[in-house]
Amino acid sequence: MRITCPFCGERELGEFTYLGDAKPQRPAADAGEDAVYDYVYLRDNIAGVMSEHWYHGGGCRAWLKVTRNTLTHEISAVEAAAGAGAAKVGA
Amino acid sequence: MSSSAIPYSTIRMEGASVAEFSWDIRSPLDRALVAGPYGAQGKAGVSLTEIHNFDLAQVMARRGKAGEMIAAAKARFSAAAPETPRAVSAADATLIWSGPDQFLVLSKGGKHSIEALAAGFAGSASLSDQSHARALISVSGDKARAMLAKLSSIDLHPSVFAVGAAAATSMDHTSVTLWRGKDRDGQAVFNLLVFATFAESLWHTILDSAAEYGVTIGHSDELA
Repeated sequence: MRITCPFCGERELGEFTYLGDAKPQRPAADAGEDAVYDYVYLRDNIAGVMSEHWYHGGGCRAWLKVTRNTLTHEISAVEAAAGAGAAKVGA
Repeated sequence: MSSSAIPYSTIRMEGASVAEFSWDIRSPLDRALVAGPYGAQGKAGVSLTEIHNFDLAQVMARRGKAGEMIAAAKARFSAAAPETPRAVSAADATLIWSGPDQFLVLSKGGKHSIEALAAGFAGSASLSDQSHARALISVSGDKARAMLAKLSSIDLHPSVFAVGAAAATSMDHTSVTLWRGKDRDGQAVFNLLVFATFAESLWHTILDSAAEYGVTIGHSDELA
């Protein structure tokens, strides 16, 4: 499997580290225990297209958001995660 | 590490034995690098040169300040800092892309040391001195690209990786900053910055990869 880093270009899997599902959003402070438990612990085991966080630690050290099909490993989109770089994303 | 590698004396302190180290500046390749020929005999296909005594500063834009950082670099170096994987040659420094909104400043003689850069980048970028945190290895020769192909998945063919091309990548599971310097004697020169503590390990891997082509090993104080 290869991932096309938006900063570096196409690179081998060995340069990247997998974090997991990019979908969970931190709940509001008053959302309650169930919402926090869900956010911290509960993950869907998706068979199909999934949005994931990957870290290009063996390269430019940017966090990426990768859209990957977990059945075929087909990658349909890669973008910088919020906070990558200083200004282009999430500034 | 052998006991003779770092000179020390042992002093007595409240009954305990405490080593008193003397911190000489030494290359991380001091023990591993043996100047001269290595591997196959005859004309050496690969030339390995460790560059000593360089100044290296990491420049990273602060949030929302990438444009100001680029402008500060332009004022300082009269050159456009790299915003894509490239190495830019300024008059007395090389600016090497190391990630989004960040680059390395490689120079000699203290002119662009971190102290010298601090005022110009105040407010736009964070600086980090990497002068003693990396080893710098210059690779050239007829077989340089063939040797590096064993270690790197980056395509180093001149049609893709021309003079000034750079990559933040990994070799043998070790993060490296790789860029192509100016050609020397009509041959490509590849420069590698590697973390100091990984330098010896990568050096041995490089020697293993290069041995079949014949290697000539040396030091230099000149940046390639």
